[in-house]
Amino acid sequence: MKSFKYADEKISEKEILIAIPSMVIGVGILTLPKDLASAVMAADGWIPLLAGGFIAVLMTWMVAKFASGFANQTFLTYASSIATKPVAIVLTFVFAVLFLLITAFQVRQIAAISKQYIFDRTPLEVIALTFLLVVVYAVSGSRAGLFRLNMMFFPIILFIAFSVFIFNLGWSDLGNLLPVFRTGFTDYLKGLNTGITSYLGFSILWFYIALVDQPKKAPKMAALGMCIPVGLYIMLYILCIGVFGREVTANLLYPTVELAKVVDIPGGFFERFESVFFVIWIMAIFNTASMALDVAVLAINSIFERLKKLKILLILSPVVYAVSMFPQDKVDVDSFGSMMSHSMFFYTIFVIVLLIVLAKMRGVKRDE
Amino acid sequence: MRRSLFRRNKKKETNNNEENFSIKIFKNLDKNMGNLKKMLDEPNDLVIRKFTIHDSKHKCGVAYIDGMVDSDLVHNNIMKSVQLITGRKPLPEAESKLFEEIYQEILSVTSIKKGTTLDDISNAILGGSTIFYINGIDNVIIMDTQGGETRSIEEPITETVIRGSREGFVENLRTNIVLIRRYIRDPNLRFKTYQVGRRSKKSLVVSYMDGIINPDIVKEVNRRLETIDMDDAPESGYIEEWIEDSFLSPFPQILNTERPDKVAAAILEGKVAILLDGTPFVLIAPATLGNTLQSPEDYYERWTIGTLLRALRYLAAFIAVFLPALYIALVSFHQGMIPSDLAFSIAATREGVPFPAFVEAMLMAITMELLREAGTRLPTPIGQTIGIVGGLVIGEAAVSAGLVSPAMVIVIALNAIASFSLPSYSVAIAFRILLFGLMVAAAIFGLYGIILCYIMLNIHLVNLKSFGVPYTTPFAPNFLGDWNDLVLRAPVTAIKRRPTYMQTHDEKSVNKGD
Repeated sequence: MKSFKYADEKISEKEILIAIPSMVIGVGILTLPKDLASAVMAADGWIPLLAGGFIAVLMTWMVAKFASGFANQTFLTYASSIATKPVAIVLTFVFAVLFLLITAFQVRQIAAISKQYIFDRTPLEVIALTFLLVVVYAVSGSRAGLFRLNMMFFPIILFIAFSVFIFNLGWSDLGNLLPVFRTGFTDYLKGLNTGITSYLGFSILWFYIALVDQPKKAPKMAALGMCIPVGLYIMLYILCIGVFGREVTANLLYPTVELAKVVDIPGGFFERFESVFFVIWIMAIFNTASMALDVAVLAINSIFERLKKLKILLILSPVVYAVSMFPQDKVDVDSFGSMMSHSMFFYTIFVIVLLIVLAKMRGVKRDE
Repeated sequence: MRRSLFRRNKKKETNNNEENFSIKIFKNLDKNMGNLKKMLDEPNDLVIRKFTIHDSKHKCGVAYIDGMVDSDLVHNNIMKSVQLITGRKPLPEAESKLFEEIYQEILSVTSIKKGTTLDDISNAILGGSTIFYINGIDNVIIMDTQGGETRSIEEPITETVIRGSREGFVENLRTNIVLIRRYIRDPNLRFKTYQVGRRSKKSLVVSYMDGIINPDIVKEVNRRLETIDMDDAPESGYIEEWIEDSFLSPFPQILNTERPDKVAAAILEGKVAILLDGTPFVLIAPATLGNTLQSPEDYYERWTIGTLLRALRYLAAFIAVFLPALYIALVSFHQGMIPSDLAFSIAATREGVPFPAFVEAMLMAITMELLREAGTRLPTPIGQTIGIVGGLVIGEAAVSAGLVSPAMVIVIALNAIASFSLPSYSVAIAFRILLFGLMVAAAIFGLYGIILCYIMLNIHLVNLKSFGVPYTTPFAPNFLGDWNDLVLRAPVTAIKRRPTYMQTHDEKSVNKGD
């Protein structure tokens, strides 16, 4: 007899395919062209983006492959069978903290950008709080619900991104893309630094693979999902350079949102398309923030098994709010963001290497 | 959780008022008749006829409630039979043999059974059966003679179609079952009967197709129906509210319809229909969000128009929920987003309006609700008057008095029309409730508030289930194969499978090739 397998708390491989880009695409892309353009010449930014993307896809695949070897085990379980339990608890805890930081960063950024593009009189704190409350509401629901939300929002996000792309094609000037390959090697490295940190988020796989229905298919799907943001980022970056030129892009606060400003919707129903674009983009940021918070809750829950999910959530969310309000100004927020993404990146590499090496050394078997 | 506790407490209460009638029937006819009268406190519609069988030795009697039985049937097939046929042939002397003879041969009623307790009798007689007593026997014969006045089959008022069957369900359960049977002549069509209402003892029938439906759904429906414990279920709405997944949600998790063709189609998709005696509204479970925006007529016209109509309905649903909120947000927060020409003309119409856009919208929306409510309750001729008066008040007077702007009138009118163009009234109400919440959000946070509300709405929907089926499927969990009958209504030759999300036993519905 068939039962309603698709309706339970398991994640299908299709949902993993969508979850990865939903997690990766957030506030990062809104500022990415600026950071890249200030590092490299003209449209050369696509090289570090592609290279960074390649590394990200590879790492995604590795994490998924490694984690899927331990079917239906939480990160804490398999990490403690590879390293020891105390080490595993520390590893999990650091992940939880990092994911909390991601949530806090998204909350802060959304408040800042909303203030810039939607309303200027409403205080930052109120905007951030309302957003965080919605995120908390989402996380308090079922975990499968979050993946369904990704499924609902992702097509809309892609649609708005593509419509910005298509409406802007006419405005872009191929001359802006030239000259090519004039960037020096050190500048490429600087660009790569920006490129790779913009793809973070695949670390959710450490925790979510345990919930996947068919773990064997997960690595391929996750890697495939990672390709979506790579394509999207390169597309939007080249478009930014094409429309604004390098100098302007490097000096715009949120170049991707500014792209939408150029758009002129035929029919004359809407002016200032960038507000519409950003409002839709809130869904993307929401997906990132809710999944990050959920993973943090999941990680803490695996350490303190007796605590209820809702309790952990209610303890963590004020912390997230406090952290998100901590940076004083734009500079603080930026350095907070880069600190967070760098530590996430290096920590993920560290955990992959540590676990793979230890598993080899101690001969922990993965079920193939 | 809270609800199940509540139910358990309720069950613990002892039923002091409820008397137990499992008293045996006596052998003495007069005593039995007296008991029956005493139990019902001698109502004047209780008909008791005592008579003697032909040879005037055996006393017997017939009891029924006037108006609930088919009196032709009682006269011709019971009274005549017993009084005439018994005279034509010799009868056995012993009472028990006579009883058997009458039971087996003489009574010419098809549905017939024996009863032994007063409880049997009371249930049967109050349900429209006729009771036959013989003196000296502690059994009675219960004959199903249900009849009396019922409404004839008419076109359903709430769900009219241009093309399609004109039949609608009526209040009589039997008739309703027949209407479904006429659509599906499959031996696997099942009708399981329950009794609901401790006092009203109404019949409730669960109908589904064995071999198509997923057995889990039947099990779950049965489990939930068995928890029902109330005095009376006057309408299927009571049943719906009792068995639905979340009573906090504004969205209907069970559909209701008056149309047999819709019920038959749902049964063939692997769903369950729940029929209650006394109401023409049949419940269909499980339901998904996509189902609420479908109408049977989508399938009766050609597929292109079906598809366009569905797309139109999704647009209508969007307008019904979001349009006034968007207008408030644009006018009071993001004037820059309105193209300058339009902005000028809106500003010009708002000239002299004393209220902010939100108050204006609230005034109009509440007036609209009042008009709708007044129009529904009043008899048709007066209802039209309300329509004219309301139209004048909204359209002309309010604007020329400078209370609201013409643009707002357009927005609210469009919004009302959109919400009434939805095929399911219960989902249209849900949208109208959400509308007010969105207007408040838009008044406080503008577009940001609207998008947060949209996200919250989605969070609520993805967590909602209807009998184990996620409410947002086949959007998420995603079943691309089911999209051919969602917004798109593919040609009938292309809808080859039953919906995957129903996890049916028999997957293919056309082109089986055998």
